Amino acid sequence: MKKVSLNLIVGSILFIIVVVTAIFAPLIATHDPILDANLMYAEEPPSKAFLLGTDEQGRDIFSRIVYGARISLMIGLVVQMMNTVIGVSLGLSAGYMGGWWDEIVMGMTGLILSIPTVVFALALMSVLGPGIGSLLIALGMTDWAYSCRISRAQVLSLKSQNYIQASYTLGFGNLHIMFKELLPNMIGPIIVIATMGIGSAIMAEAALSFLGLGVVPPAPSWGAMLAKAREQLLFSPWLSVFPGLAIFITVLGFNLLGDGLRDFLDPHGKAKKI
Amino acid sequence: MVALIFKRILQSALTVMIVVTLVFFLFSVIPGTFASSLMGDKRSFDPRVVERIKKELGIDKPLHQRFVTYLAGLSRGDLGKSFSNRRPVVDLLSSRVVASFKLACAAITFAIVVGLPLGFIAAIRAGSLVDTVTMMVAVSGLSVPGFWFGLIAMYLFSLKLGLLPTFGYGSGGIRNLILPALTLGIAPMALLARTTRAAVLDTLNSDFIRTARSKGMSETRVVFKHLGRNAFVIILTTIGLQFGSMLGGSVVVEKLFAWPGVGSMLIDSVSLRDIPSVQGCILVIVLFFLIINTLVDIAYLAIDPRIRYQ
Amino acid sequence: MHEFVSRRVLFKMEKKLFGVLISALFFSLIFSMPAFCDTPMSGGTLRLSAPYGSALKSLDPHVTYRSQDLVVSKAFHRALYTWDSANNSPALDLAESVTADKNGKVFTYKLKKNVYFHNGRKMTADDVVWSYTRLMNPEKGFPGATMVGTIAGAEAFSKGDATSISGLKKIDDYTLQITFSDYNDPGSLLFEAVTAILPREEVKKESFLIHPVGLGPFKFVEHVEGSRIVGEKFDKYYKPGKPYADRVEFVITGDYSVLDMAFRAKEIDATVLSSNAYLAYKADPELSRGLIEIAELFTRHMGFNTQEKPFDDKRVRQAINYAVDRDIIVKKLLKGKAFKATSWLPTTSTAYDSTRKPYPYDPEKAKALLAEAGYPDGFEFEAMVTDKTSSLGVFEAMMPYLAKVGIHAKAKVVESNVLVDAMYAGKAAVWFRSNGTGPDPLKALRTFDSRIPRTGSNVTAFKDSAYDAILDEAAATSDPAKKIELLKKADGFIMDAAPVWFHNYNKAVVATQPWIHNVDGNVTEAAIIEVDSIWLDKNSPTR
Repeated sequence: MKKVSLNLIVGSILFIIVVVTAIFAPLIATHDPILDANLMYAEEPPSKAFLLGTDEQGRDIFSRIVYGARISLMIGLVVQMMNTVIGVSLGLSAGYMGGWWDEIVMGMTGLILSIPTVVFALALMSVLGPGIGSLLIALGMTDWAYSCRISRAQVLSLKSQNYIQASYTLGFGNLHIMFKELLPNMIGPIIVIATMGIGSAIMAEAALSFLGLGVVPPAPSWGAMLAKAREQLLFSPWLSVFPGLAIFITVLGFNLLGDGLRDFLDPHGKAKKI
Repeated sequence: MVALIFKRILQSALTVMIVVTLVFFLFSVIPGTFASSLMGDKRSFDPRVVERIKKELGIDKPLHQRFVTYLAGLSRGDLGKSFSNRRPVVDLLSSRVVASFKLACAAITFAIVVGLPLGFIAAIRAGSLVDTVTMMVAVSGLSVPGFWFGLIAMYLFSLKLGLLPTFGYGSGGIRNLILPALTLGIAPMALLARTTRAAVLDTLNSDFIRTARSKGMSETRVVFKHLGRNAFVIILTTIGLQFGSMLGGSVVVEKLFAWPGVGSMLIDSVSLRDIPSVQGCILVIVLFFLIINTLVDIAYLAIDPRIRYQ
Repeated sequence: MHEFVSRRVLFKMEKKLFGVLISALFFSLIFSMPAFCDTPMSGGTLRLSAPYGSALKSLDPHVTYRSQDLVVSKAFHRALYTWDSANNSPALDLAESVTADKNGKVFTYKLKKNVYFHNGRKMTADDVVWSYTRLMNPEKGFPGATMVGTIAGAEAFSKGDATSISGLKKIDDYTLQITFSDYNDPGSLLFEAVTAILPREEVKKESFLIHPVGLGPFKFVEHVEGSRIVGEKFDKYYKPGKPYADRVEFVITGDYSVLDMAFRAKEIDATVLSSNAYLAYKADPELSRGLIEIAELFTRHMGFNTQEKPFDDKRVRQAINYAVDRDIIVKKLLKGKAFKATSWLPTTSTAYDSTRKPYPYDPEKAKALLAEAGYPDGFEFEAMVTDKTSSLGVFEAMMPYLAKVGIHAKAKVVESNVLVDAMYAGKAAVWFRSNGTGPDPLKALRTFDSRIPRTGSNVTAFKDSAYDAILDEAAATSDPAKKIELLKKADGFIMDAAPVWFHNYNKAVVATQPWIHNVDGNVTEAAIIEVDSIWLDKNSPTR
């Protein structure tokens, strides 16, 4: 029974709000987030002209948050896509082929899991230097373990099904079986994990920016805005409240969406969340 | 069972070796050197002094030679000397590990003490308002950026209400531990609540519970008595994973609260390009994770040898 | 009868006398109250901050030149000279007197006879010789070697060509003679903790790095890594009566918001403030009372690689100096916590020319200069910055102004060690940095001496023999007034040649609680507070 839960509804609403904000940013924002910088208006509290106040360079925070949705969404989606592709291909092939390849993949997963994301990303980014490119690579390579494990578990349980055996005996190649038969049946749990992973990718970017390694200013990334605003918490709290709130709402949306999708697609709990 | 444990230990050792090698070579290609980090923002050194520093630290030797020396030291339990304060990394780490461990214990305790009951209640009252509210709280806990929460907590509890110290380790007492532990523990707490709920729900729906219910036992007693190994295993795994990754995952919290743990030592060492320190920190973080997880594995083999761990 | 009357009279007189005495005491107390307030009181714990990082580099003062460690070393160690903030110059500390020979290269010191190390041993000339010799160790890279290297024979020793430093001569236990290889102001070289005098028998122990031993006003008690360091009063300190406080505690953190909150919560007695805190404290009637503003001897600038196009043309460099409105940047971005720079030497430098006017904000002039230099449509460049407000933040603020005159500027954010490497290798076209420009103005101006390589300090690779000549003349002059004149001239030369974009001189601000007294304003580094002279009155929470 496909169940439409409250999670799904609220999650979808939030998701749509964020996506719409990102796509229609130029129409929603009141100022240019980077070029409209006038020191005369630096660090002013919310007003008619500047809905959420201004930052230390005199830029409108509301506009920066709106455009920031583009950056966060882009990072979240790209990173999670990379992670999912890597994780699923590795897990799918490992589960299907078994043997030494399976051992290697499991070993790599164990390796990745034992190094905390932030630490790994820190190391990679120190080598690659700050900037969006290195951020995407660093984060895109560190979080594939879960989707890998899940895919593998799925394959292991599906492998013994009759129709798979049938395809095999009929002479269909391994790749065909993996991608045309197995994958479509695993989609549910994978989507769930992927959706929730977007939230953690966005949080990871925020954490890295907080430590000084993420997206480079003057680009309006929420995490970078929070990092900058940290010193000013006491004096200009509006600088940190809103970007933090934006991250919260976005990540919440993805998490709820993920939960809702799970209730909808996978009500029997195949994708046991970890 | 012993064979399984042995295999796990072997796997862990291999993991550690790979990590150590990876980190060593990774950091040797990093731009920026220790000598330049000494100059920081405003001081400058006579280049002859810089040469002597390089010689003293051994950075002028070729890479493979340094790796061999490092491995040799490792086998003796010598993690080298920190570039910045010339003290053995092992000594530096010992106090830091204690601090991080304390923080991790406090955070996981908070997560367990709050998360478990929350998840449990949500499960028994599944579908009710209580369930919805507690799960909302849980999902919010997972969605909130840790350092943002920490900052606001610091502002409220330390500055506005003056109840707690703002930062630092203090004399190692509880008061300094509260805010950082809370900040670090929120996400694990949320995760545990959700996991517990799912695990308990699973048990609730299983057949023998229905039988017990039909026999007329009260809901709570039923659940407690037959909570089931499965549920326990899942909860334990989650606790283990969360606790194991706390040593490295506390980086942001440590930086925020000036907590002198391994995470903040790692960040500082990376900025300074203090390679032996960096390697030591990463080693400790990975080791801790592996040890905790091996312990968790042993624990469930002890609970139920029938459980085949994938 | 006579006796009877006498007794009563006597009694009355006694009462009157008593009354007079009481009033006298009362009034003298009232009138001497202010005097009581100004007299240092002993006792209490000084709670200060080491605000430049989340951990100390090393407890061995010879090993580290980082501000963070210098702040803390002030409590436990001392050098031959110390910084005298009242006179803004170095002053003799471990010696009673010094005489220079007529060539100005040989200095004879009469050391104090009451200096003890924390382990009880008396300091002698041997200790000074040993400490300086240690700094020149050929196997190690001690930052203090940059200063002590100016002593005759030091270089030879550091190369392994000699077994001792010839310029360091012990005349007797309390007399030391130092010969420099060139003209130098020993005070400005030997006042920092990197040249501290240490006891050799303690340094040789492994435990020295965990439990340092020096001869400063406080004895080491404990160090919680990454958190705090504590010292207690050394009762054999060579300045009798000092230190006034019983204990000193430094909180180690690089987080200004944390320090600000702690100060407001009255958990620390004095701390350096960030720009935002400065603004807020200035506006607050309570907090503004204890603010000390200090014009530090650091010049913040954006350096140009003068060997690389288009920065090899003086007009381009000057154009950038005209193009940006620094007043607004200082006022709004830096919250007024900086002094707009004129040229290379800061306002508290002895050779600062207060009559000289800084570059005005003149975008038209900038455009004209650019056109003259062959860039009427501007050009593009990338600057290396670190992610701090004073670096990236300022550069971001510059971007709109540069855009207006046609210059398209991009930022490359890197860690400071990467920046330093690139700078020294000549691989960076433009970078943001802060240079120490004092206390010796000649040394500060040598940065642009063409004979000094990039790795020396001439990172802009500025080359002009006319400039070098002025510096040489200044070095050779023994007439102090003439010297200052020449140095001012050199400073003016640099302003015109503009090898850098002159940004600002740092204004450090120290906030102090009402119960802490005598906090000095150290222009070499505001956070290095003279701990032996601070005292706490009865309102200190630690009494």
